[in-house]
Amino acid sequence: MTKYVVKRLLLMIPTLVGVAVLVFFLMRVVPGDVVELRFAGESSFASKENLDKERARLGLDKPLWKQFVDWMGGIARLDFGVSMWTGAPIIEEIRLRFALSLQLAIMSTLIAVLLAIPLGVLAALKQDTWVDYAVRIFSIAGLATPSFWLGIVFILMLLIVFKWLPPMVYTPFWVNPVQNLAQLIWPALAVGYRYSAVAMRMTRSAMLEVLREDYIRTARAKGLWEKLILSRHALKNAMLPVLTVIALEFAFLMGGLVVTEQVFNLNGLGLLFVESVAHRDYTLTQALVLLVAAVFIFVNFLVELAYAWIDPRIKFR
Amino acid sequence: MGVLLSVQSLVTQFSTSSGIVRAVDGVSWDVDEGETVALVGESGCGKSVTALSIMRLVAQPAGRIVSGHVVFKGRDLLTLSEEEMRRVRGREIGMIFQEPMTSLNPVLTVGRQLTEGLEIHLAMRQTDARARAVELLGMVGFSDPARRLTQYPHQFSGGMRQRIVIAMALACNPPLVLADEPTTALDVTIQAQILELMKALSRRLGVAMLIITHNLGVVARYADRVNVMYAGRIVERASARELYRNPRHPYTLGLLRSVPRLDEPRRARLQPIEGQPPDLTRLPTGCSFRPRCAFRVEYCATEEPPLREVPDATHVSACWEAERVGSSNGGPRNGPPSPPALGSTSAQPGRSSRHGE
Ligand SMILES: Nc1ncnc2c1ncn2[C@@H]1O[C@H](COP(=O)(O)OP(=O)(O)OP(=O)(O)O)[C@@H](O)[C@H]1O
Ligand SMILES: [Mg+2]
Repeated sequence: MTKYVVKRLLLMIPTLVGVAVLVFFLMRVVPGDVVELRFAGESSFASKENLDKERARLGLDKPLWKQFVDWMGGIARLDFGVSMWTGAPIIEEIRLRFALSLQLAIMSTLIAVLLAIPLGVLAALKQDTWVDYAVRIFSIAGLATPSFWLGIVFILMLLIVFKWLPPMVYTPFWVNPVQNLAQLIWPALAVGYRYSAVAMRMTRSAMLEVLREDYIRTARAKGLWEKLILSRHALKNAMLPVLTVIALEFAFLMGGLVVTEQVFNLNGLGLLFVESVAHRDYTLTQALVLLVAAVFIFVNFLVELAYAWIDPRIKFR
Repeated sequence: MGVLLSVQSLVTQFSTSSGIVRAVDGVSWDVDEGETVALVGESGCGKSVTALSIMRLVAQPAGRIVSGHVVFKGRDLLTLSEEEMRRVRGREIGMIFQEPMTSLNPVLTVGRQLTEGLEIHLAMRQTDARARAVELLGMVGFSDPARRLTQYPHQFSGGMRQRIVIAMALACNPPLVLADEPTTALDVTIQAQILELMKALSRRLGVAMLIITHNLGVVARYADRVNVMYAGRIVERASARELYRNPRHPYTLGLLRSVPRLDEPRRARLQPIEGQPPDLTRLPTGCSFRPRCAFRVEYCATEEPPLREVPDATHVSACWEAERVGSSNGGPRNGPPSPPALGSTSAQPGRSSRHGE
């Protein structure tokens, strides 16, 4: 077991190196660079010489392979360098935003799971009744409603009904949990509702499938209570595909919440991502992509562990 | 011995997009205490649905028990509440299913699946239930039951899983076990082992059994009485011995000719029954076996033959021409019948070449 975990963690390294190569070269295929963009407005004043000097300062004049090796060397020492746009250390740029995005992703996922699994099971049990239809309409509506729009509705409602606005400045959880939750619960609800839809449908269909299995009939023939059949015999088997969906969604939430972040005035990774690409801030973009990739791989690894824990047929190798 | 289970005029139907499937169409039969009764018929004739109807486990909402009675120990199971019925399942009637590879839950240990029924029906504590589970696994032939309890179904072969399913069905000492094609999915050699085990256990524990099968070899060796089913109806009923010696329904005759027998020349051709079983959504008027029947006469098309006693035999047949069927078969055979082989591949050439009679 320990050996398996270590092996899997080590296997993450080649994947991440692959991601690093890809993002490094893709970024450089995009036309324009950070120097050009920064001085674009004043290009008439900035001489070619000055631009070259600036490029040299950022190391952009070196051959590509040298830049890559330097960058990888830094990463190996966990030194991500400085942002090409702001000059601040990457770690500093990312730290708080990562904390915020991670927390928001976790909260949204929790809300999505809390909605999806009970509703999915309920819909499966009441298949083709009005309960089933109601649940499915509720979840389709979630999928059809952009979370930022729902976010705006939340804010307006809080403002109009309770004459209260959630805090607009991010307070880390460890500084003031109440303040922190008061701010993040709303975007988490908006996002979680939307993302519950897919997991709900997956729960429903997996549950329907499992309930048709022979071993469920065997359990019924044993005279077990219906509740026990559900909780012990059906749910565990039905959770396997749902787990995968939830993990994928979680990884997506880490970097993909651009508009929602804007609506709630959150400085998360999503916005930073967009800006860093727009600025051709190579170092920052590369660090962000690597970070999200690492989260993605790690979450998948956790899912695999969970699979093996639930299903004894899956062996640690 | 008294009647333990009495199925009376049971009708179970499925509503599907192509119409109402009359899967079980008014069948009646009994099982006495400690007796082994067989239900035989081709695939799709309604055997499984009959068993599931007794347990009230017919797939909802398409399937519905339309009418009839299932009287078990004097109570009509069809009138029980869902909770009362739950207490009958597993406790009073155990069930063994056809497919051992899928009828155990892959994510629960064998121990868990064996003990849960004991804990619920007999209110056993965990340690007692475990001890009983060890005993049960020993009973069905495992040499290291305690270790086996902690294993998962995928760690067992098909035959071993079926032993586990048998142990599960017997766990609460039910007076009746329904076995729905318990060996169809297994190798021929394993089939014999499992059937011998079931026979030995039913004798030892005094359990009555309903064995559902389409293998007449199984019937001959293990059943006391046989019900032959065709298109949702019982077409013939007799003791196993009588049925082999003196079949009185063309369908039974066909079934017997389609399996190898030890008491007939090896070179005798096996004759499958020609034609297909009827579509259960559109049963023809009259006798539903008529299109495939060599004995048919004109009124078979209009008059449905009732199940009635055959004049010169101690059994019942639903055929207008039952007497003619009897004589065509050379009349009652003499001497003790040798049962047909278990599977078509298991006929023993050495013994089967007892030419002619
Ligand atoms: N859930 C269902 N929905 C619709 N029709 C069904 C359903 N279950 C069974 N049937 C129909 O009922 C009929 C009897 O089926 P049943 O399973 O009892 O056959 P069987 O005699 O057990 O055959 P086999 O030897 O293949 O197990 C079949 O024609 C089948 O199509
Ligand atoms: Mg069947």
